[in-house]
Amino acid sequence: MPTEECIRIPGERICRTDKGLVAGRGTYECNGQIYSSVAGMQLKSDKDGKVHIEVQREMKQNVLPEIGMIVTAKVTNVNPRQCKCAIISVETTSLSDPFRGVIRSEDVRSTERDKVEMYKCFKPGDVILARVLSLGDAQSYILTTAENELGVVIALSESGATMVPISWNEMQCPATYAKEYRKVAKVQSDHITQNG
Amino acid sequence: MPVDNRRLWTPEETIPPEFITKYRPTTELVNQNGKRRDGREANQHRPTYLKAGAISQAKGSAYIEMADTKVIAAVYGPREVMKREDFTMSGQVKCVFKFATFSCKTRQKHIEDDREKELSMTILEALKPAIRLDKFPKARLEIFITVLQDGGSALAAAITCGSVAVADAGMEMYDVVIGCSLRQIGERSLIDPTTDEESHRSLSQSDEKSNETSQAMMTVALMPSINQVSSIIQKGELSIDGAKQALKQCLDTARKLHPVIKQCLNKAVEAKLKR
Repeated sequence: MPTEECIRIPGERICRTDKGLVAGRGTYECNGQIYSSVAGMQLKSDKDGKVHIEVQREMKQNVLPEIGMIVTAKVTNVNPRQCKCAIISVETTSLSDPFRGVIRSEDVRSTERDKVEMYKCFKPGDVILARVLSLGDAQSYILTTAENELGVVIALSESGATMVPISWNEMQCPATYAKEYRKVAKVQSDHITQNG
Repeated sequence: MPVDNRRLWTPEETIPPEFITKYRPTTELVNQNGKRRDGREANQHRPTYLKAGAISQAKGSAYIEMADTKVIAAVYGPREVMKREDFTMSGQVKCVFKFATFSCKTRQKHIEDDREKELSMTILEALKPAIRLDKFPKARLEIFITVLQDGGSALAAAITCGSVAVADAGMEMYDVVIGCSLRQIGERSLIDPTTDEESHRSLSQSDEKSNETSQAMMTVALMPSINQVSSIIQKGELSIDGAKQALKQCLDTARKLHPVIKQCLNKAVEAKLKR
């Protein structure tokens, strides 16, 4: 059995795959053996009856947007067909370099998909929560906000104040009381983490 | 790399005075006792110092020192690939290898020359099989390797240093890669050659003119845990048996370096855990 709580380097053999041991994150399996694939601390975790061997790095793992993940993005460009944005963080980790994402008009909401007016949903500068739909093409990741919990989280009004959501598709400026249309996210606490 | 016109240009070419003085060391490359100029055995590697995390701004970095050979490597990314033409669904790796202007006996240009381009490709070839490209689709990892001083076997040092830097960046890898060089002069094979041993055509100064039968330089990149060779670079001519022998010697020496890498990465991880 592998000793616990020890440091592994890439390519180091940890143990055999029998005895219900499964290669978890930071490891790979080859010829019935589990090898470490990152330099880090070896950990064990129980998941659905199987023991997962993981090698974890204390520093943030290299996160990249993956299908199904929730990302935070900033809207950079809106046109009638789609909305371009820069993905600034994935789940809870912020990225050092932004990745390009795109929300197509049919992915903005789950109802009346064909009647979406992009200008009434996003404006450049809005901070949004979205889910990664696919890795997309060469240019960008394809994102979707077709869930109640996804959409605009932070938006500034014409006067520059942070607007307050008043319904699922409207936000109001606290300074001028002007109403603007947005695809508002019903923010849930488990989708948000406060940084510092 | 574009030309920087604002830079103060040095003369086209500079030659250190040692070339004018026709300095020739009097001792032979290998003396009667089988010892080399620096007192090593023929199959002995120079003492190696390796440090991970030498550059704070980079995602991962490493510094290697083998006597006079000093190489530093930095890894950035994975970053988004901006050009549509360069797009692939698997991960990409970019490698830039550079001799610092002051690293060799003759001054190096700021601009990447053909030799550096070729070595960049070679290092990339050696490192790529060890990196799990499927873990970062659509993105590119960038490795920058700079030789600070070339005291021989710079390529082997660069391969080792590059792989430690990638591991230090926390990238998923199948294994680390260790480089090792060998210089064959006639019947003699010298592991981890210095610049003198790399450039001389014969063992003793007296028979400089005589052509030894085999003249070759071999560099091997080994992934020690999974016991696979990711790259072999040979220059010059070796017999089949000679090549086999040289390969075996390189692999043996590379395996001896594995504990150094392990210790260095262990230290780096410990340092990260403490913080």
